[in-house]
Amino acid sequence: MSKPLKDTLSVKRNIRHFDFSEPYWEGTKQKKLVLQRCKATGKFQHFPRPVSIFTGRRRDIEWKEVSGKGTVYSYTITERGTPGFRGQEPYAVVCVTLDVGVNFVANIVNCTVEELKVGMKVKPYWHPLDDGTHLCMFQPDKD
Amino acid sequence: MALRDNAIVAYAETKVMEKSDRDVFVLIGEMLESLLDSTGIEKSEVDGLVVAGMTGTGAGNIFWPQTIADVLGMQVGFCEQVNIGGCSAAGCVVRAAAAIEYGLCDIAFLSFSDTHVLEDKTDHTHTYRREWTDPYGLMGPPGAFGLLSRAYEAKYGLDYRMLGKLAVTQRNHAIMNEHACEKLRVPITIDDYLNSRMISDPIRLLDCVMRTDGGAGLLMMSRKKAKEKGLTKNIIPVGYAEVTNYLGGENLVDVTKSGHSICGEKALKQAGLALKDIKSFHPYDDFIIAIMLQMEAFGFCKPGQGIQYVREMNFAYNGDLPLNTGGGQISAGQAAGSSENIVEAIRQLRREGGERQIKDTANALVTGIGWINYARNWGSSAALVLVPE
Repeated sequence: MSKPLKDTLSVKRNIRHFDFSEPYWEGTKQKKLVLQRCKATGKFQHFPRPVSIFTGRRRDIEWKEVSGKGTVYSYTITERGTPGFRGQEPYAVVCVTLDVGVNFVANIVNCTVEELKVGMKVKPYWHPLDDGTHLCMFQPDKD
Repeated sequence: MALRDNAIVAYAETKVMEKSDRDVFVLIGEMLESLLDSTGIEKSEVDGLVVAGMTGTGAGNIFWPQTIADVLGMQVGFCEQVNIGGCSAAGCVVRAAAAIEYGLCDIAFLSFSDTHVLEDKTDHTHTYRREWTDPYGLMGPPGAFGLLSRAYEAKYGLDYRMLGKLAVTQRNHAIMNEHACEKLRVPITIDDYLNSRMISDPIRLLDCVMRTDGGAGLLMMSRKKAKEKGLTKNIIPVGYAEVTNYLGGENLVDVTKSGHSICGEKALKQAGLALKDIKSFHPYDDFIIAIMLQMEAFGFCKPGQGIQYVREMNFAYNGDLPLNTGGGQISAGQAAGSSENIVEAIRQLRREGGERQIKDTANALVTGIGWINYARNWGSSAALVLVPE
């Protein structure tokens, strides 16, 4: 018997962006995952920062599209949600290590409690928001 | 002059309350009064004010330490707020010592009172949370520790009964602590821990600290001055170190590791002690698993062997390594700006622990944990080694 896991898609989300994150959100309008990359070291970073976390230089930041594929590093099943998420429990919050070497915290959809495992492969699931952007969630990658 | 040339000459605290019945300024005033009364120091001699920044009530006021100086009618040569979350109280001790050494003040009042249940002005909106975790319903610290616990479990395995053992040990200590929050002074069993409701699976209710109100304070001066004043029950800070944003310039940080591995070694070296010499352990406890992770980080046991270590050890006040003998924050209530475990260590080293008095009081190791950063372990780690004069 599979324990149901809610997908939180009906939650109303109004996200205030930091101005230095806007290229990320612009990318999500086309369902593209665009992350910051440090030109000096070639490494990605997430969440978006005003400078490279590797060199401390603002000028080293560039933005680059990535596949969004990765593996679950950890997850927690929320049994008592935050105020906007009450009534959605139980829902999962996952921490995914993307193939490009950054961790990304998000929800997971199309997944049961039994399926959800540390190490499982996932890919993005794009959830449309009212402002034309999409929220990056994850789903099992069975390809 | 060095850190160890300074002395904590007195401590004060209120009973921990589910919700304060009086304003935070009253609590702060009561702490000052108690410290002056117990030392015979005059208010006019206190020329330093060091305030723990972990205050919900003071959080909305960028002039908080000056406001406290004004409310108390103090003229000070050093007025400081220490903002490293749950490391703030330990951080206050070393900053007060530094100010005394530098000649900025002679006698410092360290103020830890807070009423974040009665009045909370904490604001997390200008952080990563609004964009990167709130939209996913990650519930603050319990959510972050849920992620941390699952990662630990996947890497090493986790026997939750042993986390329950830590919860029970601390609860037994809180029952003996008349200053602990009354609501928490009821016995629990390992099964009660396991059966407590899930909050952010695998974090259960009895893993979590409960927010409470209360006050605490310390009075510090140089050892030389303490001697001149005839003060004899002094506690000396002999080692301190802190780390904020451990591996901050790296992406994939193993959440089972923390800055305590760095600051623990540094503080013990400064103290001239080996870890095996430590007689009691007072780790910052916001979640039960944080206690075990700190045991690993300090080197009481190897990484991944925390559960086995907990199984083998007795952490009662009269056991192998006394642990948070006041109940810790989880069983006494999270109050007073992260200072409760420090105050308990000081009380024990002064041999004022009453029925839960630790036998060997040659030293005590106290820690701090502060803040939660994105997809990592925790934001700040601190270690403070104390010895009696």
